[in-house]
Amino acid sequence: MTTESTEVGGVVKSDTPPAAPSTDTTRQVVASTIANEGAMGERILDVRNFSVDYGWGEGAVRAVDSVDVHLDRSTVLGIAGESGSGKSTLVYAITRLLRAPGVITSGEARFNLGSNEDGEHVIDLVTASEAELRSLRWSSISIVLQSALSALNPVVRVGAQFEQVLKTHRHDMSKVERRARAAELLGMVDLNEDRLDRFPHELSGGQRQRIMIALALALDPQLVIMDEPTTALDVVTQREIISELFELRSRFGFAMIFITHDLSLLTELADEIVVMYAGALVERATARELYEAPRHPYTLGLLDSFPPMHGERTELSGIPGSPPDLAHLPTGCSFHPRCPFALARCANETPPLIEIEGSGRSVACWLHVGDDGAAVPVELNRVSTSIASPSERVTEVSS
Amino acid sequence: MRKLRVPRSPKVILGLIILGFFGLLMIFGPYLAPYSPDNTSFAPLLTPSAHHWFGTTSLGQDIFSQTLVGARATMVVALVAGLAATMLSMIVGISAGYIGGITDDGLSLTSNVFLALPGLPLLIVIDSYLPVNSRSNSLVIGLIIALTGWAWGARVLRAQTMSLRNRDFVESARIIGEKRIRIMLSEVAPNLLPILASSFLFTILYSIGAYVTLAYIGLTSTSVWNWGTMLFWAQANNAPLSGEWYWFVPPGICIALVGTSLALLNFGIDEFINPRLRAGGLSGRQRRRLGLPRRQRLGLTSVNRTASRTPRLSPTTSNSVSP
Amino acid sequence: MTDEMTSSVQLAARHLTRHFSVRTPGRLFDAKRVVRAVDDVSLDLVGGEVVGVVGESGSGKSVLARMLARIVTPTSGDLVLQGKPIEIKSKRTLDYASQVQLVLQDPFASMNPVHRMSHNLLRPLRIHGASKQDAPGLAEVALRRVSLEPPSRFLDSYPHELSGGQLQRVSIARALCIEPKVLLADEPISMLDVSVRLGVLNLLRGLCDNDRLAILYITHDIASARYIADSIIVMYAGQVVEQSRGTTLVDEPTHPYTQLLIASVPDPSDPTRDTPPTGERAQTDIAEKGCRFSPRCPHVMDRCREEEPPAFIVGENHTSKCWLYADHEAAVGVALSTRRKEGETATT
Repeated sequence: MTTESTEVGGVVKSDTPPAAPSTDTTRQVVASTIANEGAMGERILDVRNFSVDYGWGEGAVRAVDSVDVHLDRSTVLGIAGESGSGKSTLVYAITRLLRAPGVITSGEARFNLGSNEDGEHVIDLVTASEAELRSLRWSSISIVLQSALSALNPVVRVGAQFEQVLKTHRHDMSKVERRARAAELLGMVDLNEDRLDRFPHELSGGQRQRIMIALALALDPQLVIMDEPTTALDVVTQREIISELFELRSRFGFAMIFITHDLSLLTELADEIVVMYAGALVERATARELYEAPRHPYTLGLLDSFPPMHGERTELSGIPGSPPDLAHLPTGCSFHPRCPFALARCANETPPLIEIEGSGRSVACWLHVGDDGAAVPVELNRVSTSIASPSERVTEVSS
Repeated sequence: MRKLRVPRSPKVILGLIILGFFGLLMIFGPYLAPYSPDNTSFAPLLTPSAHHWFGTTSLGQDIFSQTLVGARATMVVALVAGLAATMLSMIVGISAGYIGGITDDGLSLTSNVFLALPGLPLLIVIDSYLPVNSRSNSLVIGLIIALTGWAWGARVLRAQTMSLRNRDFVESARIIGEKRIRIMLSEVAPNLLPILASSFLFTILYSIGAYVTLAYIGLTSTSVWNWGTMLFWAQANNAPLSGEWYWFVPPGICIALVGTSLALLNFGIDEFINPRLRAGGLSGRQRRRLGLPRRQRLGLTSVNRTASRTPRLSPTTSNSVSP
Repeated sequence: MTDEMTSSVQLAARHLTRHFSVRTPGRLFDAKRVVRAVDDVSLDLVGGEVVGVVGESGSGKSVLARMLARIVTPTSGDLVLQGKPIEIKSKRTLDYASQVQLVLQDPFASMNPVHRMSHNLLRPLRIHGASKQDAPGLAEVALRRVSLEPPSRFLDSYPHELSGGQLQRVSIARALCIEPKVLLADEPISMLDVSVRLGVLNLLRGLCDNDRLAILYITHDIASARYIADSIIVMYAGQVVEQSRGTTLVDEPTHPYTQLLIASVPDPSDPTRDTPPTGERAQTDIAEKGCRFSPRCPHVMDRCREEEPPAFIVGENHTSKCWLYADHEAAVGVALSTRRKEGETATT
């Protein structure tokens, strides 16, 4: 009733799903890597051609531009980007939690609830009704926000907040069972049961964030979205929470989308990483490959922006300039004014996200579309000595 | 200063129009009045007609003229009281909030006392001590009303100042060695502008109410025409009971309209302060035209595929890709 | 110290201490508790050098910076500005402000939203004696110094029109335009986008090298301190637990807290590393008695719970406030007893 009515007479055909129109050869390339179009199999979330605007009509600003992301069950997808890159907007819009003036302007976000004898139960979050979304949120998809202090109700004791969640979604539980479950959840994040009787402000930042994680896991979700969950915390606390998260993940097997600006953190914990710049995906690769052999100049610059903990001190240059204003994006590739390798065509033509032959990874950069014979700079052509992904590693450690 | 936008909200425009109308009445009312408000030469208790738009009183005075002339005193008193009370609350509120310590204790105590004292009785007491000739002086009355009406604004400004005081930009000013008075005036005060404006509007509203009440119970000079004295005479002559509605309705409506306009303008200030109200503030018609659902709901992001512009990828470029 | 060295010390702090009394609500009466926000910190800021102070939130590093800038009054301790002792309880003079400037963490919050950038630069210039005619020119010079070109474009902008990196540069320019000798930078990059952080760090390093500015760089990011600082101080619960020159502290950490800190930093260059040691449980208690880190310390001994350790010398220009090195120091035979005495008298 809410969403369908918006697709007013005939104009919808400018839109893509399910079959991409002919203008979109690039996206078909990526899409063809998915086994077959209909069934999702191990895939838990499949987002295609997803765009989000802020504002309407003339003043609209494109915050997320034709993004494709997907992840499999029990894997970790990292979304890296700076402020304004659209990384948070993307996931909030996927879960339909983005507030006005945010509007989804194209795409689909298919969520796989699992299969039974009738076949797969797949739901498109973009067209889902409010009731469907309500039943899905928290029990199948949950979110941990950056600021636990603003996400927790300040005047309600921690225990009552667990009570509320369990009461709404688990009608069969008794009061005693709910209390026991809440205590169990706190135990999972290494907190004592007595924390249930505290108010949020009586807890430290790390404890509050642990409670957010426990709340997010209260209903055994299949997908947990983490929006910079540790940015406001100290490194030691961050490390503790991250390792707890991974222990929990290997126990319960939920998939995770982890958003952060800290690419080095992401490299340690994600299976696959997508890098966003100015609302678009610029690179997608497995975590190790991305770290050891970045293909996009922005990824390279981002990685070089973290001073190393070892070795000789050398002067690093980072990335010149500032992230662009979304309302006044540069023409062509949004990154070209800051790019040390920019070609002439970068200023005029927007590079599509294309798969690099045979590698299973994609990049949106003209340097890698070698039809004019331009050589790929050596920095962007490193070879990765790919090793096991972190999730496999952690599973081994904890088992 | 931030760029001043032309207000687009219909509420604000309506508020401005009404207030502007009464502002003009304040200036030109006495000249526009067809007769002297004291002129008793007409027939008493005439119902509204082309000659006497609002009818006449039991003494045969023209009510339309009284309303026009009365606008000036009412509005001037309200304006004086509003300005004086806002100034006072600004001085007290900002110094209490910024300086803190014993200054804050003293000033807070004072404003709490004024807040706790019931305004109207205090006003009546002060007013009854005034020499009779100054009761007809709008300026004096306005200042007296301001004295009873500043405390609330001072409290709000104090609270806001206290939160601004620890903001980094105030600390930065301290670090570079800026003097205290300068920080209060140049760094803190401009950020209180929306609250000051809002407090100003409410004090004006309060002042109109207070002035009309004083006049209505006969405590101001009856020689000065204002909407309160009109109500006083109407009440004294039993107009509400005798069905002479045209006597008390015009001043009553004027008071209500001024009050409404101030409230409408305050909505505008709210939208100015809170951009979320502004962003969501599309009218139903605008939303329909843009193909959005009628109501924006929390937790349900709108989908609007018609708004989709061409993606950044142009067809020509993607054709040239052959990986 | 030789005379030559002391002469280049721009600002010296000795035993700086700041206590806050906090009310904790009790059953009947509120209990008053003293929080030792900064406890006996001494450091020298030398022209042409960057001192990095690393600590997590609540370690007292920001209070330390504010005491050095003299906008927070120390409970005790001494400050010496260019050889002249400062009466710490007196009001800060304009002259002190012109020598020691502080840059705050959040560039968005430290600019008044109602004023243009020109206000931010002209005010300090005017306060510190520039004439009305000279001030605009000096403001442009200051903006060029932080690589904001052309200056005229930035002078007329409001804070919301600039990016975080640009605002932080203006913030640095605001501090620099009055030509101070000491620049205190309180987490200057933590609120900035990753891709512009290095630019600001390089800017600070350049100011230090070219203009012989003494810089105190406060951060929670030990990697950035390693990148920019000539010496590093690690603070925990208001105390200096370890300090060294150069990168020794990061390359060979001795204090258990420093070790924990370094192990917690995400470091993808070391993929074989397991999830680092996190200690037993998330302990955030700060001990009232003995070593403050003892409740979280993996190497805790009985002595740590009873007695507060002094700063032991563990290497060249490298001290560590940990009992583990009590014997080490004796063994090495580097008994700088004076320094230890200093530490002991301060604790009594």
